[in-house]
Amino acid sequence: MSHGDTIPLHPSSQSDIDEIENLIYDSVPSGPATVLPARPRSPPRAAIPVSSSPFINSNIPPPSYQTATTSAPPKLPVPAVVPVSSADFSAPTGGDKRQVISSDAFGSPANTLTEPVWDTVKRDLSRIVSNLKLVVFPNPYREDPGKALRDWDLWGPFFFIVFLGLTLSWSASVKKSEVFAVAFGVLAAGAVILTLNVLLLGGHIIFFQSLSLLGYCLFPLDVGALICLIKDNVILKIVAVFVTLTWSSWAAYPFISAAVNPKRKALALYPVFLMYISVGFLIIAID
Amino acid sequence: MDRVQGTVENYSNPKTCFFHVFFKAAALTFYILSALFFSSFVIIFVVTVFLAALDFWVVKNLSGRILVGLRWWNEINEQGESVWKFECLDQESLARMNKKDSWLFWWTLYLNAVAWIILGIFSLIRFQADYLLVIGVCLTLSIANIVGFTRCRKDAKKQIQQFASQTIASQFTSTLQSAFSLV
Repeated sequence: MSHGDTIPLHPSSQSDIDEIENLIYDSVPSGPATVLPARPRSPPRAAIPVSSSPFINSNIPPPSYQTATTSAPPKLPVPAVVPVSSADFSAPTGGDKRQVISSDAFGSPANTLTEPVWDTVKRDLSRIVSNLKLVVFPNPYREDPGKALRDWDLWGPFFFIVFLGLTLSWSASVKKSEVFAVAFGVLAAGAVILTLNVLLLGGHIIFFQSLSLLGYCLFPLDVGALICLIKDNVILKIVAVFVTLTWSSWAAYPFISAAVNPKRKALALYPVFLMYISVGFLIIAID
Repeated sequence: MDRVQGTVENYSNPKTCFFHVFFKAAALTFYILSALFFSSFVIIFVVTVFLAALDFWVVKNLSGRILVGLRWWNEINEQGESVWKFECLDQESLARMNKKDSWLFWWTLYLNAVAWIILGIFSLIRFQADYLLVIGVCLTLSIANIVGFTRCRKDAKKQIQQFASQTIASQFTSTLQSAFSLV
């Protein structure tokens, strides 16, 4: 375990985290501590709304796939737990302004291994919402796009892609299945290929982060497709798609451009725009 | 609560075990039987993939924690690097884990992946690219869970060893100290 390594955290949370860490490490020889079922790292995301910093606390346990439904809420009997993590302490804390799920700053640091099911669900749901807000909507507090989507998750993109596919499929009067399969395939494969493109251009972006980003940027196109589904006026469709297309591209732009060398920005961005434009055409052309 | 010779433990978390198996079975069953009832590929796709995604979440967040006391996730640190984190219960609690629970957990995890692979082979033989998409997604989810938990388990074992040696070392030191203080 790295003892006393100092990762610069926000001051108000640093003390909390230090205390927790010290308690854990000091108590190791004496077996599972009654000390506290603390997580070895900074508290769960959203636990410490330190400031309005945009950094989302990144130690949310399950980054990928969360769900909106709850399964059984079993009672968790395991008492004293000392979760031991193998990795370093990386803890950019700071919730953003969103709702604090677990109010446990220091009082009762949520132990993610024994937390109630409902907490997990709520935490994951709020992450989807916060990611959406961060990526798609204009955010004056967003400091560094490269760091803003640290807290990636794939549920949001999953829902958006499926929704888009369903909308397109519904709008189609024939070959519904093919439309859906094509839409889903193109978007999923497109996201993967675009990510590889950025990586091959020497960009610094995590694979899943990029997938997550491209998926969230589909949200405006979802809205556009919905509008096209409801109203069948050609002019309206073109306008709606055009607007949402620019919105999508605008949302994706800062993240991609921050990730690559400035000289290669255009090379990285062009395929992204191309993909969104082709999806836009697909939406318009469906009848 | 370790096994006494002869007594058989029951599942100590029946509800979790049930859900752990339920979503997997539901996804597989729906996929297999859907051809009989639904002609629309869209419905098959969406429902199967949704069930598989739910299963992934349940295994990763619920049954992993409850049945075997393990958890894994991915984080991105300050430097923008991706870090895989593993978390496990302390040794005592791990030892107390119900053996039947963990047996069920691991076996269904592996069997699920194998089942999807077999279905994938059938799809290949029949040249149904659409269905391969479904199978691809479901397989990816299962394998992700398998890999994650296996690494987590290895990590947990390593830590137990470290912990044990640390405990022994510290006890040894304290024994020495008390011995010297007496002299």
